[in-house]
Amino acid sequence: MNLTPLQKRAARKERNKQQLDLNLVSLIDIFTILIFFLLSSATEVETLPSYRAVKLPESTAETQPKETIVVLISGSEIVVDGRKVADVTDVMKTNDDVIPTLKAELELLSKRQVIRQKNQSLKAAITIMGDKDIPYRLLRKVMVTSARANFTDVSFAVRQRFET
Amino acid sequence: MRVRRLRKEVAALEVTAFINLIVVLVPFLLSTAVFTRLAVMDLTLPAQSNNKLEQLKGNDLKLEIVVRPEALEVGDRIGGLIQRIEKKDGHHDFKALNSLMQTIKQKFPEARAATVLSEPDTSYEVLVHVMDAVRAGRSANGGPKLVRVELFPEVSVGDAPVRMKGAS
Repeated sequence: MNLTPLQKRAARKERNKQQLDLNLVSLIDIFTILIFFLLSSATEVETLPSYRAVKLPESTAETQPKETIVVLISGSEIVVDGRKVADVTDVMKTNDDVIPTLKAELELLSKRQVIRQKNQSLKAAITIMGDKDIPYRLLRKVMVTSARANFTDVSFAVRQRFET
Repeated sequence: MRVRRLRKEVAALEVTAFINLIVVLVPFLLSTAVFTRLAVMDLTLPAQSNNKLEQLKGNDLKLEIVVRPEALEVGDRIGGLIQRIEKKDGHHDFKALNSLMQTIKQKFPEARAATVLSEPDTSYEVLVHVMDAVRAGRSANGGPKLVRVELFPEVSVGDAPVRMKGAS
């Protein structure tokens, strides 16, 4: 068997080649699909903030949330648009229906000028995100306070549940 | 003359950069992804300026659902109690409430409003479930498929009337 030096070299090279061949095709496939799925779900506009401290009740309601002032009632505090206004324990102690600090905050917010005509209807709207374990007594106080502060369009934020 | 032929290398794709990108992007997007969908439930609060006396007509249905700790009481403001739904297995029986709402809706197809009256210690979750059962339901409606039907979507919330001591 006569081989030219070049052919001998090619054969030797072939023999000594350490083949490291990772098959990544399927991995790249699922990653690419996953990326498209996650990107499409991430671009959905989130109008309501999500908090770990508040467990919303489940409901079959299908109305989309609007961009309104959010009153958050967790087990320990009441938060309006990210600012804490009252402690739940303090509020529960009083028999008064109106929470003064919450009312002051809401009145301040209601003075904000609405620039776009389209958003005029949202001026009196308020979204209550309540923990599912809060009693009605507390919810009632928040609702009475917001009604006094001229927020009459109250809606409850809920977690959507799909019926099978 | 012999034909010299160079051995062809197997074509290889250089995907390392791409994989790097994906490996970074996937955990980032997974951590920011929100898997629960939020919705809102609109309430109809009685308007503040509405001070004039309501005209109660005999034909109108003023549906009221009173949430007691031990039962749900469905009634009409004029006609009185329609049905009392006792707790089942330690929970309020929302299914029974929903089917009762559907029968009432069939009798009063025009009625859209209902009031949920709850006691101070009712939890928010129970309140939302009652509102759910009152607002909409699923019924066969004669066909083979369950269809979502609107029952009383204009729900308002109020205080339960205080019970007399001794009355159960």
